[in-house]
Amino acid sequence: MLQKIRVMLFLAWRSIQRGGRAGLMLNIVIIALVFTNMLLLPSIITGAVELFNEQTVDYQTSDILISPREDDRYIADVDTLLAKINRIPGVHRASARFAMGGTLIYKGKTVSVPVTAFYPRDEVEVTLINTKMKSGTFLSSGDTGEILLGNFVAGSEDESEDFFASLGGVRVGDSITVNFENGVSREYRVKGIFQTKSYTVDYMVFLPWEEMEEIIGHENTLATEVLVKTDEGVDLDVVKMRILSFGVGEKVKTWKDVLSGLVEESIESFNIINQISMLVSLVIAVVVIFVIITIKAVHQRREIGILKAIGIDQDIVIGSYVTQVLFICLLGTILGFIISQVLMIYFNAYPLEFPDGNVVPVFEYVTMLENTALLFVASAAAGYVPAWRIARQNILDAIRGQA
Amino acid sequence: MITVEDLERVYLMGKVEVHALRGVSLSVKQGEFLGVTGESGSGKSTLLHLVGILDQPTAGRVLIDTTDVYRLSAEEQSRFRLGRIGFVFQEYALIQELTALENVYLPSLAAGNSHRDHEEHAGAILEKVGLEGRLNHLPRELSGGEQQRVAIARALVNDPGILLADEPCANLDSENSRNIMDIFADINRETGQTIMMVSHEAWHRPYFDRIIRLRDGRIVDAGDVFDDEER
Ligand SMILES: Nc1ncnc2c1ncn2[C@@H]1O[C@H](COP(=O)(O)OP(=O)(O)O)[C@@H](O)[C@H]1O
Ligand SMILES: [Mg+2]
Repeated sequence: MLQKIRVMLFLAWRSIQRGGRAGLMLNIVIIALVFTNMLLLPSIITGAVELFNEQTVDYQTSDILISPREDDRYIADVDTLLAKINRIPGVHRASARFAMGGTLIYKGKTVSVPVTAFYPRDEVEVTLINTKMKSGTFLSSGDTGEILLGNFVAGSEDESEDFFASLGGVRVGDSITVNFENGVSREYRVKGIFQTKSYTVDYMVFLPWEEMEEIIGHENTLATEVLVKTDEGVDLDVVKMRILSFGVGEKVKTWKDVLSGLVEESIESFNIINQISMLVSLVIAVVVIFVIITIKAVHQRREIGILKAIGIDQDIVIGSYVTQVLFICLLGTILGFIISQVLMIYFNAYPLEFPDGNVVPVFEYVTMLENTALLFVASAAAGYVPAWRIARQNILDAIRGQA
Repeated sequence: MITVEDLERVYLMGKVEVHALRGVSLSVKQGEFLGVTGESGSGKSTLLHLVGILDQPTAGRVLIDTTDVYRLSAEEQSRFRLGRIGFVFQEYALIQELTALENVYLPSLAAGNSHRDHEEHAGAILEKVGLEGRLNHLPRELSGGEQQRVAIARALVNDPGILLADEPCANLDSENSRNIMDIFADINRETGQTIMMVSHEAWHRPYFDRIIRLRDGRIVDAGDVFDDEER
């Protein structure tokens, strides 16, 4: 067995060494491109998904989201709940939100959105919206008569730039009217406009908790949701279980729970595109290798006959072709790896710009190893078949073939 | 010792049967230098290929010593060719990507000899056929006569006991031919290899211990053993 492998490697190596250089290089480059191609689309998709996940955690749900029980509209007695949750190990801070429907009016333009109230001091601990101020400043607890708008709510003067109905280019310092669901109407000065690039978040409007209590007319102990930030590095599911075991009867979901279902479907579609692209790449690799080895084996038909005539096993002959293919694959994947690393450096410096954020492709090593394995197996098969077809031919026919 | 019994080989050309061998029986003694002659198309190559386990007979047997070679599996046949038979083709039949030395030691490598051994051994054989200065040349850098000598060295490298040569001098000028024939004669004398050689050159006759003549797939002259005086 070892002997066979030695002869196989010897023949393969000599053939690589003394066979055509240009053809060999071309093969390697093609495999490298196929490898890069197999890696690129999944990395962009992974990058896009990661961006979406990050945006969700940073601006929308924080780490854990608590929402009302199945049949309730509100979480009751939220102060007690906050106190309880804040004591749970692994919890960094909990922040309550209360939303009430409202219509914003500015120079005849109206936007109907929920107006959400929070304690600014809690909110800055659970989301990063405060770090994404496009203009003006974030809310602080003492503010009265001031409101915070998402970029899409504020909009731009040129309406064609807006995705949704907007206030048509409200600026910080402008006054807007808000008609609340409960009939109360107030004037607010725009204190700040934030831009997170998340479509959902940038269509939100915020007020301080105390301001909302003014609108309601009494102290508010209800919340529509509670955002929980956990300590760095803790397992979210563990903290979630702890919250539940502390007797919290509301719905408790990690951000992953929130996204599952919602995003899974779009990821599923991404994956289908991904797999098609990968399949196409593999087919290209298989066809190229098949053609190359067929040409090579047909060209060397006589030599294959001679090898068999002097007593070299057919398996060794086939094996020497497969070895050459594997060698081409090895160099091809190494070159492809280098290309993809260079692309990685490039994309880190110049991310792909999408409307909802800059996507940096994420090369996943697992994907890469899977692709490499797939590429090797497919190529080996693509090399084996033509080598086998030529090598199994009758010895004398092979020798006579080109004499 | 080679024993051929009632060997037949029929080729099918479409629906036409071509009888290349029509029942050939023959026995070649250990150490014998046998010449095979006959007109073109008489079945000489077919016979040699069948003895060399490169083909499949339609009927009959080939025994090498006591082994009925066509009852072996493909892998066993391959091993038999590797270790017990050396074949020299008319057209040199070297591997173009291997040097003279590598062409010669390839069968030795395949037979499982250690690296140092096979390189040294192959070098020694090439020296014996007069190619000591050509070890690292590729076939395309060698003349026809030199290539044929490499092929002979390759056939000898595993000390096979049987050497089969199908018109090894057909493509060579007379000087190179003589050189090749002398090498075969030396090998036969010094190492006692049994040699079966197809040839129809009259001047080759003195080299052989015995000559058989084929005509239309049959042995028409089983040949007398020449004794030394007759040469
Ligand atoms: N592969 C083949 N297919 C068909 N006929 C063949 C084949 N090989 C040889 N023959 C025929 O068999 C006969 C003997 O051929 P061969 O043994 O090569 O003769 P020689 O070597 O004596 O010239 C010839 O008639 C030849 O045409
Ligand atoms: Mg012939």
